[in-house]
Amino acid sequence: MIDRHMRHVLVVLLGCFLLLFIQLNRIQVVDAESLRQHPANTRTVQRDFSRPRGLISTADGVVVARSVPTSGPFELLREYPEGDLYSHVAGYLSFNIGADGVERSYNDELVGRTAALQLGGLAGILGTEESTGQVVLTLRHDLQVAARDALGDVRGSVVLLDPRSGDVLAMWSNPGFDPNRLSSHDGQSVNAAFTELVNADGNPLRGNAFRDIYFPGSTFKVVTGAAAIENGIVGLNSPVFEVQSEYTPPLTSRPIANFGGSSCGGPLIDLLRQSCNTGFALLGAELVGPDRLIRQAQSFGFNTVPPLDIPGAVASRFPTDYGTEQRPPSVEIPAGVFEDSPGLAQASIGQNDVSATPLQMALVAAAVANDGEIFAPRVVGEIKNSQGETVDTPNPRIWQQAISTATAGEMRTAMIAVVEEGSGVRAQVPGIEVGGKTGTAQLGTDPPQSHAWFIAFAGQPGLESELVVAVLVEATEEDPDQTGGRIAAPIAQSLIQQYFNG
Amino acid sequence: MRPRTVELGLLVLASLITVAAYGLTSLGRAASLPANIVPFLGIVVGLLFSAHVVVRRWASAADGLLLPLAALLNGLGYVVIARLNPDLADSQSAWTFIGLAAFASFLIFVPDVRPLERYRYTLALVGVILLLLPLIPGLGVNINGARIWLRVGPFSIQPGEFAKIVLSMFLAGYLVEKREVLTTATRRLGPLNIPDLKHFGPLTLAWGIALIVMVAEKDLGSSLLFFTLFIVMIYIATGRTAYVVLGLTLFSGGAYVAHEMFAHVRQRVDIWINPFEDPKGSGFQIVEAAFALADGGVTGTGLGLGTPGKIPFAATDMIFAAVGEELGLLGATAVLASFLLFVGAGFRVATQAKSSFEKLLASGLTALLGFQAFVIIGGVLRVMPLTGVTLPFVSYGGSSLISNYIALAVLVRISDRANTPDVFPSPSRAGEPDRAIA
Repeated sequence: MIDRHMRHVLVVLLGCFLLLFIQLNRIQVVDAESLRQHPANTRTVQRDFSRPRGLISTADGVVVARSVPTSGPFELLREYPEGDLYSHVAGYLSFNIGADGVERSYNDELVGRTAALQLGGLAGILGTEESTGQVVLTLRHDLQVAARDALGDVRGSVVLLDPRSGDVLAMWSNPGFDPNRLSSHDGQSVNAAFTELVNADGNPLRGNAFRDIYFPGSTFKVVTGAAAIENGIVGLNSPVFEVQSEYTPPLTSRPIANFGGSSCGGPLIDLLRQSCNTGFALLGAELVGPDRLIRQAQSFGFNTVPPLDIPGAVASRFPTDYGTEQRPPSVEIPAGVFEDSPGLAQASIGQNDVSATPLQMALVAAAVANDGEIFAPRVVGEIKNSQGETVDTPNPRIWQQAISTATAGEMRTAMIAVVEEGSGVRAQVPGIEVGGKTGTAQLGTDPPQSHAWFIAFAGQPGLESELVVAVLVEATEEDPDQTGGRIAAPIAQSLIQQYFNG
Repeated sequence: MRPRTVELGLLVLASLITVAAYGLTSLGRAASLPANIVPFLGIVVGLLFSAHVVVRRWASAADGLLLPLAALLNGLGYVVIARLNPDLADSQSAWTFIGLAAFASFLIFVPDVRPLERYRYTLALVGVILLLLPLIPGLGVNINGARIWLRVGPFSIQPGEFAKIVLSMFLAGYLVEKREVLTTATRRLGPLNIPDLKHFGPLTLAWGIALIVMVAEKDLGSSLLFFTLFIVMIYIATGRTAYVVLGLTLFSGGAYVAHEMFAHVRQRVDIWINPFEDPKGSGFQIVEAAFALADGGVTGTGLGLGTPGKIPFAATDMIFAAVGEELGLLGATAVLASFLLFVGAGFRVATQAKSSFEKLLASGLTALLGFQAFVIIGGVLRVMPLTGVTLPFVSYGGSSLISNYIALAVLVRISDRANTPDVFPSPSRAGEPDRAIA
């Protein structure tokens, strides 16, 4: 009897230990990699903190991060000669806090732990060469400086990228921070600086260009317009939308007005040129409808984290549920009426629950500029060994096919019209073909404030576009009337100027 | 092979593993062998050989697996502790010495455990007193939020560790006496045979003790272990599922009330469910343990090459994570396997034991050790909420180490008698046959 009962207990214990063994395998094998990459995990950084570490430099050779010999237990101090300029891209390496940016995501390359660098190191094994790697950014120093200067003291973000490769050419958010304060070997001052930065206004540590989301306002009309053309609902020059000063969506009595109470209408190209709220709200709510607009927003990359090669990029948001169909499609309302058609009308002009990172809006412009293809955005294009020889140049890869080549061509024409004779004239650059879209996203505050946006592409006339720009100037009490056309377009213009004319 | 030959061979193996691990750790950290490696080898071999000689002389027929397994776990734990904190290692070596001395003394001075059966109620009283001692003002001290310590001169003692053994002895004796009445079902409730209600007394007592330990001493782990011990032993003695069901119900009820009433219990549960909510704050311990284990991977970082010092309480509660980091999945699995082997050997001793008292005592002590290992490793691995109990033989801690060596001595003593043919009447009950063995 007793012996049989003991066997039962033994079986229960065996089961318990089996459970432990399974969980041990989960932690040490299955989930091990994601645990190693967890943001709270400072082990890798601390282990590598005193190891020789390669340079981070810009595409044009300016040193962004380097390790210099120092006295004390760690022997090497990480320095950032450009201060805050590359804070959100290169990130920081801190013993207490961990690491961020390229310092984190390219840690293995910097300390020389990748296969390519190890193989290269074998040749130098007889000598005393280190096997550390150098990371070359896709960013250009002159453009990064220009981005910072163009934005000046106002809060906001600027993203410049090459639509043909996804290479980020400049990415700046104000406020930034000085990474030297976090890489210091004085633990107390590092912790104090970190606490100060975490609590500081405007999130200097975050890198708002790819980690914060804002109402995109009228820049989102590019997505709504693309959805309409892609699905064959409208053409660029027909049909002609009625000129009106207000539009009231189905199921609500609250009208949507045009900017400044003006009236507008016409074919799609004119709607975009004038940034016509009434026309786009009607187009989105009654012609395109929820399913097609959701699908289009998602194929531009909304609701997905963009595959940026530094940590922490966030997904832009477009709602995925507009409720059940209340009225079937009819001649008057071809898309049908849904529970939240009023919300859909707002979303079609980039308000309501739509929000996007400046990086995402740059990618929207990139799709139009690049035949509908969006390349995965990246900040690193080349890895070199410690002797400066290239060991890896990863190929650009396509992230999304947002729209067809034909649709991209139509939207391109419309966005060029915006800059030639529409709301974006302040972005014109002589001798350069520029297309763009303004955005003035009202926050619904009292008194009203607005984010000022401008997204653009630019290239030599008749040739493919080489440059995409997204500018966001955050809403401020000091300039409650700021608009994308007046504030953001000139910033984009100066950066296009810098890119093509130096 | 004769058990003593097996034991000697395995002890040599355990000492070699311990000394090699000690040397490798130093090589990993400082790229040189420790200066004291030769004396260390001498001490390890000397201690284990002495223990072996005592077993050979005073318990020659005993199982040959138990002592080497304990020695291996103890040695491995010492290496990890020495790597984390040399000061703790010095104390741990003293505790190991005292533990082995207690082991030897028990074998030398207690030729038979059956006389203890007669003192079962005295043992119950002693057990309860040991448990409640830390609550006496001026005598008990709070450490890390739990009031389970006695301050005696420069030492801190956890009397609860010894209470576990004493209460196992009481329970074994009590259950031998009451087995029949406890087994007789007087009514049925659905699929369960319900014994007479008055026989639920001991279970309620156990529940009360567990509750006091949990509420007054804030020691969730020990509370859980006491309760498990009671249920397991009653089940082994009676085979009545009703006790297990009732016990689990009582425990769930108590746990629920504790969860509602006490913030520290609630916090443990919240951390268990989502430690990553506050990875730098309340979840720190568990999260760092997971990071350490992930760093270890399959083969480990290598002894002396990891950073187990980052795990809070790495030498005590979290020592399994430190082992898993530097020795990897393979090393951690070896520790799990060692405990399973120990449990298997313990239950074999219980099966071979000649009297019901010895059977119950041996299986109770074995189950206690097995479940204790499960509770703390399960806490570290997030199989269950983390409760602070030691990993037997491995964790730093004098009371735990000494009491485990005493439990080991009891098992060895029972095993020895089981394998020795009875040529003369047993000394405790001369002329009276052993109680029927089921």
